[in-house]
Amino acid sequence: MNLIDRYIYEVGRYLPRKNRADIQTELRSLLIDSLEARVEGEASEEEVVAFLREFGSPAKVAASYRPESQYLVGPELFPTFRMVVGIALLVLVVVHAVLFGLLLFTNPDFLQALDVLSNFVGNFLSVLGTIVVVFYAFQYFDVRLAKPSQDWDPRDLPVVDMKNTVNRGGTIFDIALELLILVAFLVFPNTIGAVVTPGTPILTDPVLTSYTPLIVAALMAGLVVNIVLLWRGRWETGTRLAKIAVNLFSIVVIAMLISGHAAWLAQHTGSGFFDLLGNLPISKITSSEQTLIIAMFAIQIALIIAMIITVIETIEVAYRFFRQMMGWDTALSSVEDQKTSPL
Amino acid sequence: MVNIMNSSEVYDRIVQELRRGVLVLATLSQLGEAKYGYSLINELAEQGLNIDQGTLYPLLRRLESDGLLQSQWNTEGSRPRRYYVISPAGARLLKRLSGEWRGLASVLDKLLSNCEGSET
Repeated sequence: MNLIDRYIYEVGRYLPRKNRADIQTELRSLLIDSLEARVEGEASEEEVVAFLREFGSPAKVAASYRPESQYLVGPELFPTFRMVVGIALLVLVVVHAVLFGLLLFTNPDFLQALDVLSNFVGNFLSVLGTIVVVFYAFQYFDVRLAKPSQDWDPRDLPVVDMKNTVNRGGTIFDIALELLILVAFLVFPNTIGAVVTPGTPILTDPVLTSYTPLIVAALMAGLVVNIVLLWRGRWETGTRLAKIAVNLFSIVVIAMLISGHAAWLAQHTGSGFFDLLGNLPISKITSSEQTLIIAMFAIQIALIIAMIITVIETIEVAYRFFRQMMGWDTALSSVEDQKTSPL
Repeated sequence: MVNIMNSSEVYDRIVQELRRGVLVLATLSQLGEAKYGYSLINELAEQGLNIDQGTLYPLLRRLESDGLLQSQWNTEGSRPRRYYVISPAGARLLKRLSGEWRGLASVLDKLLSNCEGSET
């Protein structure tokens, strides 16, 4: 019977204190009833072992005595929980990427910059832990984040409108990118486009530096429009017009930057930057000015890509705006017209 | 494509869900007079319904906390036993539930015989 005692005790360890003794007494009497019915006379150890195995592990038996729904974060809260974790992760990634970039610019010690990345894991875990604790508190005290579902009215549901739905992932990506560049420009205006070659003085991209106020203005305007878009969740006349205006402004700024870089490159490479490719591979490049030329060339290519993307996006938004104004779009649009903005 | 192990897991889960609802009905139906857990298991088994002990005992407690059963310790026998009996609220619920069950059973009978008929 010793095994039964140990079994009952172990079940009790998993039970809530409130009913523990009562359940243990009942379980003991039931187990003995059942065992006596199975075995004639005194049960051998093997028989008790087989019997208890069949009955189930203590943890499992105890679990069936507890309420059925025990959640850390239950199914009703989980979608919100996942969204909050996603946002926190995004913010942490952006913050750490910015810090990492800044340290790379300002500190020659590469290991110190790597430290930031290794801190990321620890920081993410502690933020995640905090979120879990908060949601567990919501779960425990049965806090409802949404309105009770009985009150809803089908007529309050938003109209299904694929054409005007904002691509959330793309918009969040845009915001992260804009924040990253913006922080870099605002915090270290003089080191943007800096090229560090060991043993030579730091050179900066003179074109980017001279246009900083315009670049910052374009980024901030884009950021505001994207945040509004994310918040509204759908395209409206105002946001379409704002997006077109911001994009046109960005196109002007990018065009100025491209022509600035082209002029600078023409001046420093003589017959244009394709000649420069003849100087490759990098091992041939000795002076930091030559490194700067390569960097400026890379920035130039990035600017051209940004220009193409912005122009395509602007045309698309303008086209949608035109369709909207002409009243060509019905609320329920066909599936193949669901394409959203490229970024 | 469902592999065999998966489909047997799915089968087990569905059978468990099916039985879970029925067990309440079976338990309430047999507790017109007070019984303790092991005697109830035996009685149900004798009539052809085998219930896992680990399922029935917690169920009795849950039904009691829902107010459908009443219980009392009886210390007269060789060891203390907890006897359960249906409460007035449980009896009312049982009446409604059995009507529900009979309706479901007859509809399902019809549905299943229809689908078996169309298969052959």
